[in-house]
Amino acid sequence: MPPDNGGYMVAGYVVTAVILVGYAVVLWRRSRSLM
Amino acid sequence: MTQPAAAAPIVRRGLLLCAVALLGLAGVYVLAIAYTPVEARQGLAQKIFYLHVPAAWSALLSFSLVGISSALFLWLHDPRLDRFAASSAEVGVAFSAVMLTTGPIWAKPIWGTWWTWDARLTLTLFLFFLFIGYLALRAALADPAERARFSAVVGILGMLLVPFIHLSVYLFRTLHPQPIVLKPSAPSLPPAMLQTLLASFAVFTLLYIGLVTVRYGIALLEEAREAADAA
Repeated sequence: MPPDNGGYMVAGYVVTAVILVGYAVVLWRRSRSLM
Repeated sequence: MTQPAAAAPIVRRGLLLCAVALLGLAGVYVLAIAYTPVEARQGLAQKIFYLHVPAAWSALLSFSLVGISSALFLWLHDPRLDRFAASSAEVGVAFSAVMLTTGPIWAKPIWGTWWTWDARLTLTLFLFFLFIGYLALRAALADPAERARFSAVVGILGMLLVPFIHLSVYLFRTLHPQPIVLKPSAPSLPPAMLQTLLASFAVFTLLYIGLVTVRYGIALLEEAREAADAA
């Protein structure tokens, strides 16, 4: 029976999405302010 | 002088690539959660692997390309190489942030600790700080020629850490597992896990290209604004 640790998976997936989508949004806003 | 009109299509192309890559990332989430089997000993936490390993790949790719383009810049003095190095360094820091947060989140349930000061983890943290320093140096220097020359030296020094990080699991006693894909023998993974990992590698590489393209366009726009302010 695998250990019950799905919360760590969810945390890892959420953190990844926040960093990558957040950085893409920051770049988009920076480019808009310069154009 | 750089024209803003020339930068706009580059930014748009980069944003399009980012959008496609982020949709691909959502696809990787679905594949990892629904398609790959649950590892018997590690449980669901093992699925962080499908994000942690490609993020590490993208970070090390970013910093390697910073070093290569910096060396070429010192040789050729082409400002495009300096612009690319600055863009790749910033994107590399973002991927490093993913690697350095997903790593401890995965480590806690498996190793029983968030962090351990072994060779692979410590060198990776040093690399992250080194490129934070690289970006701080660029922000601190006003003269573009000086900024490009000094930061190129730091970029080359940062790249020298990359092979040590990859080989650290062979060179030192470490808790970190050895490579399972980028190694001399064939990858040692069940087909569903390997396919999902390769899909994730492709998505992260596409995202790297998209983010660097947008960041390169922003550098062009910033140069155009600096030139306009100086005129």
